[in-house]
Formats: sequence, C-alpha cells, structure tokens
Amino acid sequence: MLSLSVATFRERWQLFVGAIITVTLGVALVQSSLLIVVSAGDHGEAIAVLGLALGVSTFLAIFIVSSTFAFAIAQRRRDLALFRLIGGSRGQVRRLLLSEALLLGALGTVLGVPVGLVAMSAQTSLLASLGFLPDSFSAEWHGWILYVSAGIGIGVAQLGVLAASRRASRVPPLEALRETGTAAKVMTLSRWFVGILLLAVAITLMSISTAVDSPNGAIPLSINSTLALALGLSALSPVVVPLVGRVTGSLAGTTTLGGLARANLRDGVRRSASTAAPLLILVALVIGLAGTFDTLSAGAQRQLADDVHGDLVAAGPVPPGTPGVASASAEYTLSIKVTTVSYGDEETDDVEALAIDPAAYQQAHRQRLVAGSYADLHGLAVAAAGGDLGSTVRIRVGGREITPRVVAVLPPKLNGGPEYLLPRDLVPPAALGPARSIVRLQPGADAGAVAAALPQPVSTLDDWIAENDSAQDTLNAGVMKVVMGLAALYAVIAVVNAVVIAAGERRREFAVARLTGFGRGQVIATALLESSVVTVTGLGLGWLAALATLIGISGVAGTMVMPWGIFWLTVLGAFLVVGATSVWTSLTATRPTPISLAGTRE
Amino acid sequence: MITTETHVDAAVELRDVIREYGSKQARVRALDGVGIGFARGTWTAVMGPSGSGKSTLLHCAAGLDRPTSGQVLLGDRELTAASERELTALRRKEIGFVFQSFNLVGSLTAEQNVALPLRLAGRKVSTKEVRAILSEVGLGERLRHRPRELSGGQQQRVAIARAMITRPSVLFADEPTGALDSRSARTVLGLLRSLVDGSGQTIVMVTHDPAAAARADSVLFLSDGRIVDHLTRPSTRQVADRLAVLED
Repeated sequence: MLSLSVATFRERWQLFVGAIITVTLGVALVQSSLLIVVSAGDHGEAIAVLGLALGVSTFLAIFIVSSTFAFAIAQRRRDLALFRLIGGSRGQVRRLLLSEALLLGALGTVLGVPVGLVAMSAQTSLLASLGFLPDSFSAEWHGWILYVSAGIGIGVAQLGVLAASRRASRVPPLEALRETGTAAKVMTLSRWFVGILLLAVAITLMSISTAVDSPNGAIPLSINSTLALALGLSALSPVVVPLVGRVTGSLAGTTTLGGLARANLRDGVRRSASTAAPLLILVALVIGLAGTFDTLSAGAQRQLADDVHGDLVAAGPVPPGTPGVASASAEYTLSIKVTTVSYGDEETDDVEALAIDPAAYQQAHRQRLVAGSYADLHGLAVAAAGGDLGSTVRIRVGGREITPRVVAVLPPKLNGGPEYLLPRDLVPPAALGPARSIVRLQPGADAGAVAAALPQPVSTLDDWIAENDSAQDTLNAGVMKVVMGLAALYAVIAVVNAVVIAAGERRREFAVARLTGFGRGQVIATALLESSVVTVTGLGLGWLAALATLIGISGVAGTMVMPWGIFWLTVLGAFLVVGATSVWTSLTATRPTPISLAGTRE
Repeated sequence: MITTETHVDAAVELRDVIREYGSKQARVRALDGVGIGFARGTWTAVMGPSGSGKSTLLHCAAGLDRPTSGQVLLGDRELTAASERELTALRRKEIGFVFQSFNLVGSLTAEQNVALPLRLAGRKVSTKEVRAILSEVGLGERLRHRPRELSGGQQQRVAIARAMITRPSVLFADEPTGALDSRSARTVLGLLRSLVDGSGQTIVMVTHDPAAAARADSVLFLSDGRIVDHLTRPSTRQVADRLAVLED
C-alpha cells in the first residue's frame, strides 16, 4: 500500500503542497516553542505566551490538514471508486489514505525540524523584544525533541486524514463507471453532528461568561467559545456559506457574469465552503481575541474612571495645607509577598499593593466594597480583592512578616491592578514605593496655579487614566501579535490551498465556458467575482462569531469594543490574497487553448 | 447461446430483474423484468438506444448496482444478497472490468497497473505472470511506461491485461472502443475475440458501435428496459439496421 501511496504522491503532489507546508510549520512551531519553554524555567509570562502559541498552532495544523484532505479526496472520488472496482476493500482505501498521510507527516517532519531551529531564534528574539525574556536568553537543544517533532508531524497528519478516509472508503465502486461522478454529498451526518454540538458548546460557554463577574473566569470562557463557534460554523459551512452567499451574491449584480458567478456558487458548494472556512476561522480568532482584550481594557478604564474621584494626579505626597487643595489621597505602590495555603501546599506570590490613608482614600475613591468597611482599616488590617471577610493573610512587607485580618473586600479588577490595600502606618517607610496623590480642588481654585505647587509631574485625572491603561496592554499586545500572526499565517496557507485545488478542478469548466463564447478575461472576471463573494461570506460569518464572543465578554467588562482597525486590515488582506490567487490560478488554467482541455477528462 | 429463459451453464444470470430509480413522483424504470443468462465462453454485446437500460443491465450483472427486485447469479452465487465484503471478494476473483475511458492509475506504470488487482487481493505478484499477460496483449516492450506515455489503444490493452490478470469468470466491458480510433478499436476487438476463442473467456460488452457488436457471438437489443431482440453472429449491416429500427 505504501508504494502505491508514494506513486500517488508523486503524481498529485499539488494537492498536498498546502498540507505539507502546514505540517512543516506545525512541527517547527511546536518544536521551537517546546525548547524555549523547557529552557525558560521561571519566565512565567513567556511560558504563557508560548503555551497559547503551542495550542493554536497544533489546532490550526490539524484543522488545515483535515480540510485539505477532505477537499483532495473529493477531487479523487473517481480514482478511489476505480480502486474499489478492481478489488480494493474499504479497509484498503483507508490504509491507502493513511499511508499517504504518513508520507506527508514524515516529509513535514523532515522539513519542519530545520525550520524549527530558525523559528526558535525568531521566537526568542520576538519574546525578548516584547520583554518576556531577558536579552541574554538562549534556548538549549535537546535530542529528545526529535521524537516529539516526529510525533507531532505524523500525528497531526494522521488525525487530519482520519475523518476524510472514513468517508472515502464509502465511495461506491459504481462511480468509476459514471461519465461524471455524482457530486458527493458535502454535508455529512458527522458534519451536522460536530457543527451543532460545537454551536451548542459555544452558546453554553457564552451564556456562562456573561454571568461570570471575574475577568479571570470570563476570558478563557470567551476565548473557548470563540473557538467553538468558529469551528462549529466551519463544520456547517456547506450549509451556511451558500445560504449567506445567496445574500452576498446579490453584490455580484444581475449582469451575465454576475449571474454565472452566482450559479457557480450554488453549484460548487464544497469549493466555496473550503475557501470560506479558513477566512471564517481567521476573522473569528483575530477579531474575537483583539476585541476581547480591547473590551477588557476599555472596561478597566471605565472601572478606573468610575472609581477615582478627583481633579489632578500628582507624582508624590501633597503637603497638608497646600492652598486650593480640598483633599489629597497619597497612595504608595509597593510589592508584597503573600503566602497562601491551599490543600496543604504553601505558595508565595509577589503581589501589587497600595499603602494608603483610609480616610483620604475614601475621599478619592467611589468604588463600593463587596463587604466590610474602610473604617476598620487601621492597625493590623488589610483590604483585599477577593478573599473572605475576617480571614487572615500572611504578608511579607519590607522584610517584616505580618498576619493582618481582611476587614474590607474589594470588587475584582479588570486590569489586574493592586490586589491589597494596606494602611500606611502598617508599612515600614523603607518599603514604600513611588507615591501618587489624587487631588480634589477647592471650589473656584485655579487648576493651573494649584498644579504648579504640587509635586511634579502633575496630570489631569483624564490624562492619568488614559496613561495608566496603556502599560497594562503590553502583555496583551504581545500575546495578540503571536496568536494573530499564527492564525493569519495558517489561514493564508489554507485559503491559497483551497483556491489552487479548486482551480485545478475547473480547467475543463473554464474551457467549456470559453468555447461557449466567453473571452478569457470574462472567465477570469467570473472566477474573481465568485471568490470575492465567498470572501465576503467567510469574513462576515467570522465577524458574527467574533461579535457573539464580544457580547459574552461585555457582561464582565460593562462595555464592548469592536476592533475595527484590525478588522478592516484583515478584510483588505483577505481580498488581496484571495483575489491574487484566484486571478493567478484562473490565468494558469486558461492558458492552454480551450479545445485541448474541453475534450480531456478530469 | 443466448436465451431469454434461464440457462443451465450461465456464467451470469439475471432473473426477472427490475431496477427503478428516483422517488415516487419521478420513478423511472431502467430495467423492466429482464431475464437472461450469459453462457460461459461466449461474448455477448448489449445494444440499444440511449436510455434503454444497457448500462444499468451491466451494472446489475456485475453487482455494482442492486436491482429493485429479481435475482442476479454469478455462477451459483447470488449477488443480490451479497454483503459489501463478499462483493469486494468477488471483484477480486470473479469479475474484470474494461471501461471506455481506460481508467488506469496515472501514477503507476503499465506493469504496476496490471499487478494492482493481485496486490489488492493480497496475492503474491509474479513478475513473470504480469509480463506474460502484457506480451499477450502486445505490450511486452512497454512495461515501464506510464499511461500518459501510451496511445489510447495501448492504454485500453493495458486495461484488458489488468482485468485479465485475475482470470475472472466474466469480463465486463463498457464501450471499450468508444474512445478509440478505428484501427486501435480493431486491435482491441481482435484481442477480446482471441480471449474468447483461446481461453474460453466470458465477455459481456455494452456498445453502440455496430462494428464492435458484430465481433461478438451474439447481440442483445434493449429498449425501454426490456430485451426486445437478439441476433446470433450478425453482420455489421444487420446490427445497424436493427438498431436503426429501435431508434426510430
């Protein structure tokens, strides 16, 4: 069976190029991410980013390999029927395809290992430039990674072909005898099942995430529901894409070419679905993730604006009796070590905290406490975000170990700001970090004059809130860059692959159109029109999936931000890639004289 | 040779076969009570206007399509009741196919194409046997050529060799000369004739070419899913005239 696979592979390599590149990339990314993770040890943020990259690249690789195989197998139905007709059993058809996937996986591994070394240095410098790793960092090579790489390469390929091979083995032998193979049913029972199941999962996750009030719970729920929704819609794409395509197809107009493009779209369900699905996933992932982070940061900003009550923010304590100042809350940032005990394991974390004067703090902050009261915040006491009122925490601050009682519980913060408020007199002066003062002016005081007398630099409250937020975004932006870059890369491979395979199948169709009187330019224009409608459909569905995610996350953030900038950038990129590929492939397919193609089969 | 009654020594036999397509509203009866035995060691051509049911007859006889009612017997085995697994086994041992469009595996050489059915059946492939059968069809020099390097007639001869390698009890041919020029067609028909005369091969062939039908031992005419006539050892002229009447 393997030698037959080798032969098929040599003959039909164009069908597999996309899948090989995908596996190569998957192997390279998993290998480099793993090697960096192993060497990164205690750089937690880098490991988190890499973990996300690992998950996304494995997932997308399997997804693309499986859609490539599904499409490639649909193209080979006649071959497979013939194989059955001359005595191949169902099991042999499956083995044939599995060994093709084995070859593909092996090839992907061989190419992926060296590419992984390049990826490793690229990833390391990217992570270093984002500040997640020290500049001196370099990952070590481990011999065992070769086994992992081979396992990933071959495993991804085998997983990808599994479903398609089961379907292929059901091709009836009679199809080899028919002039035109009966169009295979695109929407299979398992597609319905998987699609509906994933949609149900997505809806469940989404409704849970609107009910959750902590961002730590809502973010993973929302990201997972984006994934489920995108996958569910792409499983249902043979139903959804033509349906939506009927609406977007009206963009093609009522001209002759537009009419033909619409008819082709109705006819080539598999083709349209294969092109639209990766675009759908791309937009859902990119807009869903970017929107989630934007929404959360907008929510955090709003939370801060709602909480802080004042006119100016000064960079230091304000001496009492400064003219024009009604009240000033001096807040010192400091880092403390908090030891928690869970299930008998002691765990100590570095945590951000604020040292405050409770009375002044209350003047400057309107945030309602979940439980307890600021009035109790004196002596051996703290206010904590989360935790139970009346419980004690072990805190190490300025070299002193203290065990204060929680007397006030703060609501959870969206931006991961200070988790503890300590009374100023509990903290040794040496441990106090930089201070800021939130200043309220006396009625009628001149803001400019008062500001000049305050510790510099002084900013207005609005400016300070806007500034405060951007620092927090760096981590998010880094994660976004990594994930979006990967998603875009895979989507481009999948889309180009689908367009190329589809055009190969249409050589004869194009030739017949030209013999019927279409000019070469008209054929190319029709193909371009078709792929544009498919692109609009895929992008639109992806946007809907992202929107649903953002509605989910808006529950916890209290606001919603649609990242239009990134969206239009993605739209532009998608049209460029699909349009260019479509024109290029239809140009190639129409190069020979039409009569030489119209007579040939396949 | 051909009887519309059941035949004692038939390689394939259809008993009152009805095959209907489509749902209730648009029901089409492609075969309407066909009963026929194809005797061992004979070559039968099946003719008829398009839509007469000749392809359906071939598909049902080969176990590729299941009749709506009636029985199909291959030797003494009933195909209508066979499982998918049994049908696969039959295709490996008892049935050979030749198509209008050759249907060779483009990535394999002539030699590999011929050996494929044996390999699928898990049998040991003897190079000698494969080469012998290829030289029997006159292609002993072209073992390592791929299909696209061969002419249509040569490809069809490779296809015949592939069908014959398992020594099937029946060879089904679907318009085997339909895509060939007349000289290549003559070569292929001569080859089929020699299989029947030389080794007693049973052949059932669908064709619309009177010249091809005239090389067979008998010709069966179908119209609207029924057998309407059969001729024994007719001339090309006789076949053409009969067909012209049916097509009117």
